[in-house]
Amino acid sequence: MATGRPMLEIVVPPPYLTLQDRGRPGFRNQGVPASGAMDPWALSMANVLVGNAPGAAALEWGLAGGTIRWTRAGCCALAGAHVDATLDDTPVQMHRSYRVRAGSTLTVGRFVTGRFAYVAVDGGIDAPPVLGSRATYLPGRFGGWHGRLLRAGDRLPLGLPQSRAPVTDRAIPAGLEPRYDSTSCRVVPGPHATLFGPSGWDQLTAAPFRIDAVSDRMGYRLAGRALEHQVDTTLPSAPVCPGAVQVPAGGLPIVLMADAPTVGGYPVIAVVASVDLPLIVQRQPGQEIQLAPSTVPELQRALRARAVAVHTLMHLVRAQS
Amino acid sequence: MGDTAVTIRVGDRVDAGLARHVRALAERIRDARVPAIQEIVVGYAALTVWYDALHADYAQVADTIESILADAPGDEAPPRHAREHQIPVRYDGPDLREVAERTGLTIAEVIARHSERWYEVYLIGFVPGWAYLGDLDPALVLPRRDAPRTRVPAGSVGIAGAQTGVYPLTTPGGWHLLGHTSAVLFDPGADPPALLAPGDRVRFVPVRDDGDRPPDA
Repeated sequence: MATGRPMLEIVVPPPYLTLQDRGRPGFRNQGVPASGAMDPWALSMANVLVGNAPGAAALEWGLAGGTIRWTRAGCCALAGAHVDATLDDTPVQMHRSYRVRAGSTLTVGRFVTGRFAYVAVDGGIDAPPVLGSRATYLPGRFGGWHGRLLRAGDRLPLGLPQSRAPVTDRAIPAGLEPRYDSTSCRVVPGPHATLFGPSGWDQLTAAPFRIDAVSDRMGYRLAGRALEHQVDTTLPSAPVCPGAVQVPAGGLPIVLMADAPTVGGYPVIAVVASVDLPLIVQRQPGQEIQLAPSTVPELQRALRARAVAVHTLMHLVRAQS
Repeated sequence: MGDTAVTIRVGDRVDAGLARHVRALAERIRDARVPAIQEIVVGYAALTVWYDALHADYAQVADTIESILADAPGDEAPPRHAREHQIPVRYDGPDLREVAERTGLTIAEVIARHSERWYEVYLIGFVPGWAYLGDLDPALVLPRRDAPRTRVPAGSVGIAGAQTGVYPLTTPGGWHLLGHTSAVLFDPGADPPALLAPGDRVRFVPVRDDGDRPPDA
C-alpha cells in the first residue's frame, strides 16, 4: 500500500485480537453497552508505560498466537495477562516499555496466567471512533477495526505520540504493578438481592466458584454449588451492567462483562466491585474466585484510590528517564 | 447497582402503566440536570441511573434522586419527546404461515391484527437499537420458537409473547418472523443511533414492496 502513514501491520493472524479502549459510555439508552477493555486497569498500565492517556486505544489479545509489525520506530508495552511474548525474537517482560524500530515484530505466544493481554503503542491506534470510542463491539459489528477481529494483512494507522522521543525502558515501580493473585472479589447486593434472602446471599459468598469454560466478553459463567432458590428467574427486562451477577433458573451465577447487553431479565443478586472485576476477567476456566461481601462506600473509596494510583503511576513513569 | 449506578425498582411485571411511570420518573431525573448523573436507562419496571462515582457518593446521589422524585406532580403527562413512527413492512416472513395456523387466523388476519394498532416502545436493549414494542393483539400471542434461529437478518419483524419488534442487526433470534422492513433501526453513524426511543409510538404499515431489499435478503 502506497500510504506513508505509520502503521501497525498484522502479520500472523491472531485467533482473537481486537482493538479496545476505555469504552463508549453514554449510549446505554440506545441499547449500546459501554464495552471497552475487559481489564481497564491493565489497559491503563500498558498505555501509561508508553506515554499515552490511560484510556487510549490498544490491542486486546484474547488467545495465544499472532505477530504484529511496525512501519515506524516507537515503543510498546504489555500488561494484563502474563504472556510469553518476543520482540524481534527477544523475550519481553510485562509492565515495561520497549523501543521498536520500523520493521520490528512482536509475537504473542502462550498465556502463562490470565485471559486478556494488552499491547499499547505510543500514540495509540488511530482507528475511526464510533460513538466516541475505538472499542470493538463484535456483536454489533462496529467500532475498533471495521467492527471485527483483526486479521492478517490489516494495517492499523498509528496516532501521534505525545512525546517526541519514544518512552522506553520505563517500568511500573516494583510493588505497584497490577496483581491478580487475590481470588477474593468484593460484591455488594444487587437490585434483586432481597428476593434471595439472607440464605441466598450466604450461599453466594460462602464458598468459591470456578470460572466455567463458557466465558467471553459478554459474560463469565460460574461453576460450583448452585444457589438453591425459589426466585422467579424470568423478570421483566431491567438495566444491567458489567459486574452484575445474574442468577438464571439453574442457580449457577453469570458475571456480566464489558459487551453484555444493557438490559437483562435474570435477577441480579450482586454486583462485583469495579476495581475487582479484572480479578475475575483474568481467571482462566477452572480457576477459583471467592465473592466477598462489601459495601458501596468501601467500593467507591477503592475506585477513587485506583484512579489516584493510575495518575500517580503516570507521573512516576514520566519521571523515569 | 454496584459502585457506579443506582437502580430504582417500581414493580416486577410488564404493564403499560408501570412502564409509563418508569419513563416519567426517568424524565424527571433527566430534567433536574444533576451534574453527577451521566446516564439513565429504563426497563419495564425499573430504571438505572449511572453517575460519576469518582466525585459523588452513592448516598448523595440516592438522596438527590429521592428528593427529585418526592416532588412528584400528581398526574404524569405523556413524555414530551415521544415521536410517532410508521414503519413499512413487507409481510413475507418465514413464520407467517405457521403463526396463522397456530392462532387459527388467516394470513390476511395475522397481517391486519399486527398492523392495525399503535405500539408503544417499552424499552431499548438486548442489542443496540432493539425496541420492545407492545402490546400485541391477544390473538397473536405465542411463546418464542422452540428452536431459535442462529441467524435472523437485520430488518426482520417478529413477534413473541405480547411483544413485537424489529431486529436492528443480524443476530440469532427466537421470535416468529412475520416480515421485514427497509427501515434502519440502528445506525452507529447517526445521532441518535437508535431510531426508536422509550415512549415512542410505532405502527407497521403493510407494503407490497419495501423498495430496496429483496425478500430473504
